[in-house]
Amino acid sequence: MMKRLVFMSGLLFAVMLASPVFAADGKALVGSNKCGSCHQMSGPAVTTIAEIMKRKAPDLFYSGNKFNKEWLVGYIQAPTTIRPAGTVYLNNIKVEGDTDVVANVPKCASKLSAGDAGAVADYLMTLKEDMPTGTAKIGKFKKAKAKSFMFKGEACNACHVDPRKGGGISCPTFEGIGTRLNPDWLYSFLKNPQHWDPKVWMAKRDFEEKDLQLMVNYLSSLK
Amino acid sequence: MKDIRIFKVTAVIAFVVAMFFGNVPSADAAEKAADNYKLYCVQCHGTAGTGKWVNAPYLAVAPRNHVSAKDMSALSDDSVFKAIKSGGPAVGKSTQMPPFGGILSDAEVSGLVKHLRAMCKCKGK
Repeated sequence: MMKRLVFMSGLLFAVMLASPVFAADGKALVGSNKCGSCHQMSGPAVTTIAEIMKRKAPDLFYSGNKFNKEWLVGYIQAPTTIRPAGTVYLNNIKVEGDTDVVANVPKCASKLSAGDAGAVADYLMTLKEDMPTGTAKIGKFKKAKAKSFMFKGEACNACHVDPRKGGGISCPTFEGIGTRLNPDWLYSFLKNPQHWDPKVWMAKRDFEEKDLQLMVNYLSSLK
Repeated sequence: MKDIRIFKVTAVIAFVVAMFFGNVPSADAAEKAADNYKLYCVQCHGTAGTGKWVNAPYLAVAPRNHVSAKDMSALSDDSVFKAIKSGGPAVGKSTQMPPFGGILSDAEVSGLVKHLRAMCKCKGK
């Protein structure tokens, strides 16, 4: 009887260590590490400028749509700077004379172990919102055409840093964007940024489908 | 008599609900022009409106100096409205001025035109 009880307890313990509990651990780690003190962990997104000015870090309640899990695991262990002027650029600029300069950009304090980062990433990947129809079609594309459209035409690097061309800093860098973001989410965001973030300062443009695919392919190639 | 009492109670409840929930902000609610300017325009035109923000060096065309009475008085209110709403190409200017009509209502764009006139202390041509 005792042996059977020990065996059953061992079996139960083994089951608890199995993958379904991994996600629960990740949620607990998000709570204990107070990720929610900076990130909004549940929707909907804010809808006023007053609210967006209080934003300290990007929304995570659609992480499962937005990110590539492998990138998340690395970032959670050692965060890098994605937004050179901070999450909401207006909060990190000061005026010197008649010119704006960036000052005191806060950094993400996350410094989890590889195991914990994996658990948190697993949990974050479960956070999803409805994604509008349409998907990225990743394949062969003309890089020169994409660059011409994005940089000469739309001036994307006026606000985003491109690894080769440089660029502005009020929006996330293109450096490593192909590793960071899910191409389908990228497609969706480019099509209608305000679907995900009603007050985001990236203008909604009526891109043609071929141009959307061209941009998603170029950005996804930046590893 | 009973119907009138029910009507009064319903009216009071409706009033209280309207008081509490009538001002819930939505993405469609109009923002103040100065706030819209800060969030959407400052990233290229700068806090002071001079066009000297850190993004500016990466623009092939220099952002408009909004405090220059000379530059701004050369533009009509209608063309400024069109440029904000539909982007630079709508008024024969650069694609680097993006269209904000997908974010801002016409009333908000009109508010921005007035805000720009206050910044340049000038009138449109």
